[in-house]
Amino acid sequence: MLKESISRRTFIKGSVSLSALLGLGAAGTKATKGLIPKAAAKTNGKVEQFYNACPRNCYDTCSILTTVEDGRITFITGNEKNTYTKGRLCVKGNTYPRVVYSPDRIKYPMRQKGRGSGNWERISWDEAYTIIAKKILEIKKEYGSTLPICLNKYSGNFNILNYATEGMLSSIGYTTRAQGTPCDPAGSDAQGFDMGVAYNNDPEQFLDADYIILWGANPSWTSAHSMYFIEQAKEKGTKLVVIDPLITQTASKADEYIQVKASTDGALALGMIRYIIDNQLYDKVWVSQNSIGFKEFSSYVKKNITLEWAAEKTGVPKPVIERIAREYATAKPANIWIGFGMQRHVNGGAMVRAIDALAAITGNIGKKGGGVNYIGGETWGFNYHTMSFGAPEGSGGEKDRFVNMNNFGAQVLAANEPPIKMMWIACRNPLAQDPEPAVVKKAFDQMDLVVTADLYMNQTVEYSDIVLPVTTPFESAGINVSYWHYWMNVNEQAIKPLYETKSDLEIAMGLSKKLNQLELGSCTFPVSGDPLEWVEKELNDDIKELFGVKSWDDLRKNGGTAKANESITVAWQDLKFRTPSGKYEFYSKKAVEYGHHPLPVFTEEYKAPKEYPIRCMSPHWKFGIHSQFQHQDWLMAIQDHPFLEIHPDLAKKKSIKDGNMVKIINETGYMTLPAKITKMVPADTVVMYEGWWKGVNYTENFTVKALQEDMGEYQKGQRGIAFHDNFVNIEKA
Amino acid sequence: MAKKLGFLVNIERCIGCHACEISCKSFYQLEPNMRRRRVTELPENLVGTPVRAFVSTACNHCDEPACKKACPVGAYTKREDGIVVHDQNMCIGCQMCGKACPYGVPQYNPVKKKMDKCSMCYDRLDEGQLPICVEKCPLEAIQIVDYNEVQPSNAVSVVPTFADPSITHPTTHFILPKPGKQTRRF
Repeated sequence: MLKESISRRTFIKGSVSLSALLGLGAAGTKATKGLIPKAAAKTNGKVEQFYNACPRNCYDTCSILTTVEDGRITFITGNEKNTYTKGRLCVKGNTYPRVVYSPDRIKYPMRQKGRGSGNWERISWDEAYTIIAKKILEIKKEYGSTLPICLNKYSGNFNILNYATEGMLSSIGYTTRAQGTPCDPAGSDAQGFDMGVAYNNDPEQFLDADYIILWGANPSWTSAHSMYFIEQAKEKGTKLVVIDPLITQTASKADEYIQVKASTDGALALGMIRYIIDNQLYDKVWVSQNSIGFKEFSSYVKKNITLEWAAEKTGVPKPVIERIAREYATAKPANIWIGFGMQRHVNGGAMVRAIDALAAITGNIGKKGGGVNYIGGETWGFNYHTMSFGAPEGSGGEKDRFVNMNNFGAQVLAANEPPIKMMWIACRNPLAQDPEPAVVKKAFDQMDLVVTADLYMNQTVEYSDIVLPVTTPFESAGINVSYWHYWMNVNEQAIKPLYETKSDLEIAMGLSKKLNQLELGSCTFPVSGDPLEWVEKELNDDIKELFGVKSWDDLRKNGGTAKANESITVAWQDLKFRTPSGKYEFYSKKAVEYGHHPLPVFTEEYKAPKEYPIRCMSPHWKFGIHSQFQHQDWLMAIQDHPFLEIHPDLAKKKSIKDGNMVKIINETGYMTLPAKITKMVPADTVVMYEGWWKGVNYTENFTVKALQEDMGEYQKGQRGIAFHDNFVNIEKA
Repeated sequence: MAKKLGFLVNIERCIGCHACEISCKSFYQLEPNMRRRRVTELPENLVGTPVRAFVSTACNHCDEPACKKACPVGAYTKREDGIVVHDQNMCIGCQMCGKACPYGVPQYNPVKKKMDKCSMCYDRLDEGQLPICVEKCPLEAIQIVDYNEVQPSNAVSVVPTFADPSITHPTTHFILPKPGKQTRRF
């Protein structure tokens, strides 16, 4: 028998080596005649394949290949022509056939008699439009403007055509908008102050990195396709360091894991910087040519930061800080990925500025394979034609009014002159996803009418007056890009919309038609139109040139996916920063303008109140993106309830055993859920993953206060939420 | 020489995401609770330092398949290449195979009233394609190996949660993760 070692390296060579091993001849993953073989083999009917784009709020924003047999989707997988998606989907994407054909889909427009009563009745689209349009016109008449109408829409579907909802609201007059993002605001401001805007390197460049620090990022769960490139880099010898308060799935794969105390990452970065400056390991040429304020920053560091302080603050021993600092400073190029979770603290923006500074002083910014990578928007230059129509003559008001999406309930309740009386909710589930859901519910109680457009009967729909059933990505056209990778993906309509579902664009046209029937000229949004014409209008000459495509239809015919010109895939390669000085700004006057310290300094973390000493973090969960996916029965078959991760030491102190029900409580709320005893979390922290679990009437946000992050106004209009500065107590229930 | 095809599961690479399991469920349009492949959490002290580790298993296409022995109607065959095939047309749904398999692989499909299990996608293999779970794993952590040709020296035949291989001689092998360095506060 042949003895042969399959090394890690051989293992991943893919189909070529596999073919040899198997003696399969032409084995490979390529589809025959462009169709996956199953589709070709198992039907006598018509088989078609379509390109789709996963539109969820996810780094990976995959290009999808959908097989349709006799008008029904039979398989959904990744598009092989996209070198980031690589023909494979994450676990969530693999559930898409069930997302479409789920028995839980909302099938028809419905009206609820008594908000939260569950007493729903089916109504026609015409009835739904009539109720809504009459209410809009009534409000306009009573208040002299449409400002009492509030839109809360965000990231459930990032198809560019879904901005039709914003466009529709703009087309009736000035309205109130939930502004900001719960995602990335503090970190985006930080990168804005330092470099002008957040701009990340192409994640496929992890392969070019000599050293990778994943700083509070868990791509194993939130960006599986990035994790592939990181694993490939590891196999080539790149060192993977993970810095995180939790032993995440990604930390479990690291060459080195460093457990930092939550919300002290900035202190760790500043400690590393102190060591790098003291040991002359910084890139003097880069700093002198490309930055301003290094002198001031350096003197701040020398005066205020010591390795001993950093070790004490972070819980990371001094020799480890020194070693990691040396390794990072001497690796070329070294790549840092800052996760969104890391900045969901009251000092999150300041911490991101400190990490940016670490990358800047070592000259890692503007380098292929390097960078301090957080988020980017370089490929989002569409026309946003759906938002271009504007307020009709005489609709009242002067401009839109904003409430912070991150403190939605309280700010809706506080709004007056005029008060908010009607809500339109799309691509969002605020009753599950917002902090202080009880306050959000109170805000709902103040409304004359709550309209929610959604796929499923989630918490927000359950507390609405009217629900409008929407399409999945497979039932409507569109186009998507990512805030992480550099691909543009076509979304074709693969099947007819199920039941009576409509896209947000169709809903916008339908409502406009009704409004204009009731009062001609009351809505400027077009009343009809072909979605394919709409989508073509999104592409301008710049974006066509950037992606090398002639049109949406041209891209549809040519693989459904295109990558942006290489020239933009290395962030800041030209070293022309978009700051006021055009340089990297260690010293930022813009930061001062927004009320912050000009330098990347350490600002204190939020301290646990005495009665609630345990930090409760709510990171993303592998089977969900916010409140999407986890509730599907395919995933409920694997894990059907949320749980609380507790360190054995803490569990022992509280006499909690694995599987015991635990009550988690603070001044904002409480809930009871089963314990999972695990060393993956530190003993001063518990973890409850984010998500909507079917049949579960609480969410991780029950104990989350609307505590602000330090930054967000500069880039996003509003500060974010310090989701991870949530302190609780726990007891055996 | 006959082949001995089996899965080689790289736990070092596996991120426990279940994409293998769900892509299989999707491709074969299985009932929501049917799981031809399943991902199991391993003890967190598997490699010494605490980590999140998972193992993905399906049918182990055993050398001495207990399902085949237990089946009263001969619905199971073992192909020349080692793949254990269950013929659902012959199956009477008595569930004896499910009880006999130390890994609990054959599952009862209450809709079809038949047993169901992983076929290693033999029809795809016969056409030169890879099994769906192998092709769709985002981390390329599952491989098919002809164990008559290759004996990977870094592979093991058992991991915690996996039944004693001496009973049915499963062909599945595993590559264990290597522990990384950790600086922990607790």
